Amino acid sequence: MERRNFVKSAGLLAGGALLTNLDAFAAKADAGVIKIGVIGCGDRGKGIMQLLNQLPDKFKITAVCDVLDFRLTEARSLSKGEPYRSYTDHRQLLDDKNIDAVVVAVPLNMHYAVAIDVLKAGKHLYLEKTMTYNIPQALELVKLAKERPRQVVQIGHQYRYSPLYYRVKEMIAKGYLGDISQIDCRWDRNGNWRRPVPDPSLERQINWRMYKEYSGGLVAELLSHQIDFINWAFDTHPQEVFATGGIDVFNDGRETFDNVQVLLRYEGKHSMVGNFGATCGNAHDGYLFKIKGTLGTVSLLTDEGIFYPEKKLLNNKELVDGVTGATRIVWNKEGGSPILPERTKDGTWYAFNEFYKSVQSQSLPDSNVITGARTAISVHLANAALYGKKPMLWTEEYNVG
Amino acid sequence: MRNNLKEAVTINKWKLSRWMFLSFLFLLALTGINSTMIRSRSDLRKFIINGYSQGTTYQVTYYAADSIVSQKQTDSLLASLDRSVSLYLPTSLICKFNNSARGITIDKPFLVLVKKAMEVNRNTNGCVDITVKPLVDAWGFGVKKPDSFPDAARVKSILKNVGPDKIWLQGHFLHKRYPQVQIDLNGIAQGYAADLLGNLLESRHIYNYMTEIGGELRIRGHKPNGDPFKVGIEAVDGNDIMPSPLRKTITPGDGAVTTSGNYRKHLEAGGKQISHIMDPKTGYPIQNEMISVTVWAKDAITADGYDNGFMTMGLKQTLLFLARRTDMGAYIIYKKTDGAITDTVTNGFKGYQPN
Repeated sequence: MERRNFVKSAGLLAGGALLTNLDAFAAKADAGVIKIGVIGCGDRGKGIMQLLNQLPDKFKITAVCDVLDFRLTEARSLSKGEPYRSYTDHRQLLDDKNIDAVVVAVPLNMHYAVAIDVLKAGKHLYLEKTMTYNIPQALELVKLAKERPRQVVQIGHQYRYSPLYYRVKEMIAKGYLGDISQIDCRWDRNGNWRRPVPDPSLERQINWRMYKEYSGGLVAELLSHQIDFINWAFDTHPQEVFATGGIDVFNDGRETFDNVQVLLRYEGKHSMVGNFGATCGNAHDGYLFKIKGTLGTVSLLTDEGIFYPEKKLLNNKELVDGVTGATRIVWNKEGGSPILPERTKDGTWYAFNEFYKSVQSQSLPDSNVITGARTAISVHLANAALYGKKPMLWTEEYNVG
Repeated sequence: MRNNLKEAVTINKWKLSRWMFLSFLFLLALTGINSTMIRSRSDLRKFIINGYSQGTTYQVTYYAADSIVSQKQTDSLLASLDRSVSLYLPTSLICKFNNSARGITIDKPFLVLVKKAMEVNRNTNGCVDITVKPLVDAWGFGVKKPDSFPDAARVKSILKNVGPDKIWLQGHFLHKRYPQVQIDLNGIAQGYAADLLGNLLESRHIYNYMTEIGGELRIRGHKPNGDPFKVGIEAVDGNDIMPSPLRKTITPGDGAVTTSGNYRKHLEAGGKQISHIMDPKTGYPIQNEMISVTVWAKDAITADGYDNGFMTMGLKQTLLFLARRTDMGAYIIYKKTDGAITDTVTNGFKGYQPN
């Protein structure tokens, strides 16, 4: 019931800037502003900080931490009021008794170590995706989080916090798509996926996504969002995992593949084949996310979605020659209907509003340590298949929660 | 000379062959006419054009011996109407008028629509008014979305630019009283588009057709087997993802059927729905028992011209307005005081059979 209410209010907010004065969360503002420390001030960390600064009745950033000095300087410049306390060692930030919750946006290989420290310091945790670098760490983090039920752990799969993605989950559950058998996903770009490096010695620290030691590459950094949505929306996980790929576009010293294709087999109420791909060598599709059933297809961007009914669904109209009704707005010539009337905000906005709510009410966020582990395990199986050149299977021991 | 003679013979030969060819053509034509004349109605084939215009879909169904009217023609007709009266096309004549200080010279379709709108305005005692555009924008249903709903003072100030006395015609010149006066023909243009599509078909001697755009229909004739065209009236849940079964099926015969409803396009505030239909007299979105009004009239510009007005008038006034009319009728879905949804129909509504 609580979930439905949230979806309703979020849907209302999605209705446009018009309704901001009706902010459903505002009522709780006086319950307290959450004091935030940010560990990891790269592009993502700073992006989150900018968002938190737009929600002053809910969050107040008080401290920042990064191992790179220039990043700390950039992060400090985002302060609009009191200067942030800044640290290069995250353990010092965690000693700060004034911090209620910590945002962790460090390279993937450090997620686990930092997350463990945050939990042990008694703070709430917003941990960027993918949850952990490998499967044992995912299982360990679940164990630790379960021991500390009063602390909120939310994993940064922010897109599915958008009311659009909740609506799609609901459509799936209500059977609007019929029996679903196929999922098509892409997250493509035409570019090297590198960040500028001010000093060559910082290459590995800044472009950590290029190196296997730190990163799970395109699957962990991009496709994990869609893999996570499928796991969550269908309450499932892949049974079999196949993958292929290579360094096909930018042979520039990188180790993680710049062209990947992952094939996931799901079994359950909807038995499905999921086709997840990403390349750095073509931007035509960009972000593509299609869920296909016997009754229709949902086609999603991060902030808008269209439903295409299967032609046979329209057959009942054949009984009449025409239909009169209030003008139906269609978005495109293929006759799709918009899933929500307006574009949604960036997923991070919804994700942090939910994080606030979870901390205030000590409730389990939808993107929690269990779903985070399930997605992290799916990602690692995909990478194991990709780099190990062999199919992988989901095994019993991965069933958490 | 010889040469000349030879030439003359050749010409004669050519003339002869041309004569024969023309006779052959004539015979062919005769046969053609015969076959058309003796062709039974069942030789008529059904053609359906599905297209996209004015932010919605359109469909043209007609019965003819061949595909005489093509999608290219219907697309181009609708694109041309868009260039006159679409608010979504910044270069359209209507946008030019809205941005002008005193008015502009308008083209024929624009003129037809404005004249009709003025007539409907008079007949409905001001319940339909195309000068509501500033209100439509202020309440968040225009092309650009405002940050908040207008307060009473803002509504009052907008109303200074709304009203039938704010625009007038002088030949093809549409005047406005103040530069801020703006018009919106969206409530009537789709009906007119359905008429224009019908006119296009009739200009090609097609007399059995149904044209539909955005749920507004124009109908003439019947199917080759004599069956009338069947029109479904949509259920009012506004669910486009999993549409409910049709609420009613009617067979209205020649004329037009259009619907104005609150159920698809609205905003929400404080748990209340904000209708996209403005009451031009109060400056506020309408708030009454009406959910949807389906109007039958002889043409779609008329039906579409009145349907919003009935939504604004409310149930009692609409029933009074239509009580003795046979040239127009309405099927009305409304909410009773106890919240239950029910419907009613007036005498002039054609082709309605109670369930």
